[in-house]
Amino acid sequence: MKNHKLIVSQSLIRSYRASIQDELQKHAYNFVLCDPGLPDHPIVYASDGFLEMTGYSRDEVLGRNCRFLQGRDTDKRAIVEIREAIREERDCQIKILNYTKAGKPFWNLFHLAPVFSQQDGRVVHFVGVQLPISSKLAARKDGHLTGLELSFDELEFEEHFDNPSCKNYHLSEEDKQRAFAAVKAVLQELANSSCKGVSSMRSKSFSEGVIPPGFVATSLLLALTRIPHSFVLTDPHLPDMPIVHASLEFLELTGYTREEVIGRNCRFLQGPDTDLAPIEELRSSISEGQTCTVRILNYRKNKEPFWNSLHISPVRNSSGKVAYYAGIQVAVSHSSEEDEGRARMQQLGTLGAIKVAVRSIQTGAVLRKSKTIS
Amino acid sequence: MLAIKRVPTVVSVNQDCGSVSRDCLQSCFLTGFDLPLFKYTKKMKTTELQLLGDEEVPSSPPTIERSFLGTLLLSKWEERASQGLFRYDVTACESRVLSGNYGFIAQLNEGRHLKKRLTEFRVDQVLQEFDPKKFNFSKVNRNEVLFQFGEGEEAGYYDITPILSSPDIVLINVSPIEYGHVLLVPRLFDFVPQRLCANDLLLALYFTAEVDCPYFRVGYNSLGAFATINHLHFQAYYLAYPFPVECASITRINKGSLKSSLRISELVDYPVKGVVYESMDLNEIAISVASTCQELELRNIPFNLLICDCGTRVFLFPQCFARKQALHQVSQKVLDTQVNPAAWEIGGHIVLKRKEDYEHATEEFVTALLAEVSLSDPDFQDVKNIICK
Repeated sequence: MKNHKLIVSQSLIRSYRASIQDELQKHAYNFVLCDPGLPDHPIVYASDGFLEMTGYSRDEVLGRNCRFLQGRDTDKRAIVEIREAIREERDCQIKILNYTKAGKPFWNLFHLAPVFSQQDGRVVHFVGVQLPISSKLAARKDGHLTGLELSFDELEFEEHFDNPSCKNYHLSEEDKQRAFAAVKAVLQELANSSCKGVSSMRSKSFSEGVIPPGFVATSLLLALTRIPHSFVLTDPHLPDMPIVHASLEFLELTGYTREEVIGRNCRFLQGPDTDLAPIEELRSSISEGQTCTVRILNYRKNKEPFWNSLHISPVRNSSGKVAYYAGIQVAVSHSSEEDEGRARMQQLGTLGAIKVAVRSIQTGAVLRKSKTIS
Repeated sequence: MLAIKRVPTVVSVNQDCGSVSRDCLQSCFLTGFDLPLFKYTKKMKTTELQLLGDEEVPSSPPTIERSFLGTLLLSKWEERASQGLFRYDVTACESRVLSGNYGFIAQLNEGRHLKKRLTEFRVDQVLQEFDPKKFNFSKVNRNEVLFQFGEGEEAGYYDITPILSSPDIVLINVSPIEYGHVLLVPRLFDFVPQRLCANDLLLALYFTAEVDCPYFRVGYNSLGAFATINHLHFQAYYLAYPFPVECASITRINKGSLKSSLRISELVDYPVKGVVYESMDLNEIAISVASTCQELELRNIPFNLLICDCGTRVFLFPQCFARKQALHQVSQKVLDTQVNPAAWEIGGHIVLKRKEDYEHATEEFVTALLAEVSLSDPDFQDVKNIICK
């Protein structure tokens, strides 16, 4: 990810007031915020408590996916449960084996909660609160666990980790409540600092099936952000076929921010010297639901022109019907045949990846048995 | 001899032709044929990269970005789709998740349904001799060949190369279950029958690891477990959704050791009895799984494999559905749906060919179907004994 620190800090600024970092700093909990709209669902905020608990510096965790906390003996099932909760955009509280930077394993009571935008129902961030658990707890101050004086002598890890009785550390109601309270406090802070309104729950109308236009489910976002090329998804069912998703690479190519492109038709990329012929070809293909490839002169935000080899195609979702039109951009010069060949491969490969992503079944509605820990 | 009759899946347009077409791979091989070549290297242990952050990714050779193989596969597949080489548009097939505990995925795929003559498949002989008179992958149409896969010192991609002398070939499946459905045929021209050895399985694991995408899974069906063609091959496709079996609870059955990171676990609370092998070391998995499978082959126990998580997780399902079918122990209702429980179905992805089956599909139906697949408790215990000895 180029300039990932910039992108990561933008993640907070986009949704909350600038003071959010200071506000969050006041809480002594161990927690992170992650952004599912960025490639690989990275951490965009980490509390001091989290850093102290895990032994990493802030620089070492921002922009990375939380999986670095997992290790050799982390139960696959726990990872799967967290993934399911993320995909289904719901809470989950689970006991999981994590590792500090030094490689020391520790049991972690992990609580995940989504933060929903009140505007379009998307999950803006996921909050992850961590409560290390041990048979010998460190001294408590002000009701929070401080420091990490875990007694690993008792664990004798290699021999005992599979022993069921070791896994069932007594998790008191107090522990669970503490995790809930931490999540609640963080969510409250985010809601108080939000620009456009966020909440721990979706709006009532959304739950009743009224989906705002341009809503993109987390599971689709996670799949789309894996695709490392410039593309947009537009919605042909909405007036003027607006962009509902733009990849990071598209934003980098064109110089716009996400807020400047979502909701707009792609024609803002055209400019004074753009030929009418490719525009007409695009328009005609779209009206017939066809694919096409055109070479069109586009303009960046700073007015700089570039030749764009643009490939568009309808893309179907799990219902089998067309859900989006994908537009894939490759910046080309008046290039050689070999370049054309490579550009073509990137376009088609990206289109394939988009088709796989969009075809995924967006759940949310399918609820399995609840995932509270025993 | 035990046999069942079923309509074989059409994986190649040349499958039903009696004669050898001039356009087939074999003919092209003899006259010289250029194919794209993707070279992978065993040095690039992509599985290890999962635990590293972005900053620590070892620098890849300059010509290849990570998971380029995925881009290559998808682009070639998309190209073939736009050329109309598939029998239907699989993205127009409706899918949904069945409500319940497991999250089975049902797909309505009427294109796979064929009103054709039933073919007899012997189900009590897992190892059968290669028969050159029958359809094999040298008879596919040249357009169905996407690229060749080969090992090298350095990873690389070559757009146009002469076909290697013993190529591993990637083909399209003209009756896809999902987007990107391909067949991986190790050492195609060695004409090896459908049987497993560690090296061939390792190739499949490297293939999965190189694609480097958790949505891409590779499957293997032995004879007697619904392999259609007796020519060594794996299948693979993309599904951006968890397979129910990937989410199932497991309990470890092998002893941990400091020397080996291989975990072998048994599925718990899943309709089909099975075992899963997990390790970051692909070699370790290949050797262990192949050894068990060879033992199963000798004992005539059909089985399926499902390779997930970029090659680091391999599910093994010994099965007896076909045998039960041959002994008329499977209900007609289940047989009428024409679901052949192979690797994908056992994993929880069920393709239904008739609309009424799709509309009325429930978790109960799938659980009942899959229950017929499992070995009995004593038989499965025998398999576990093989694994843990």
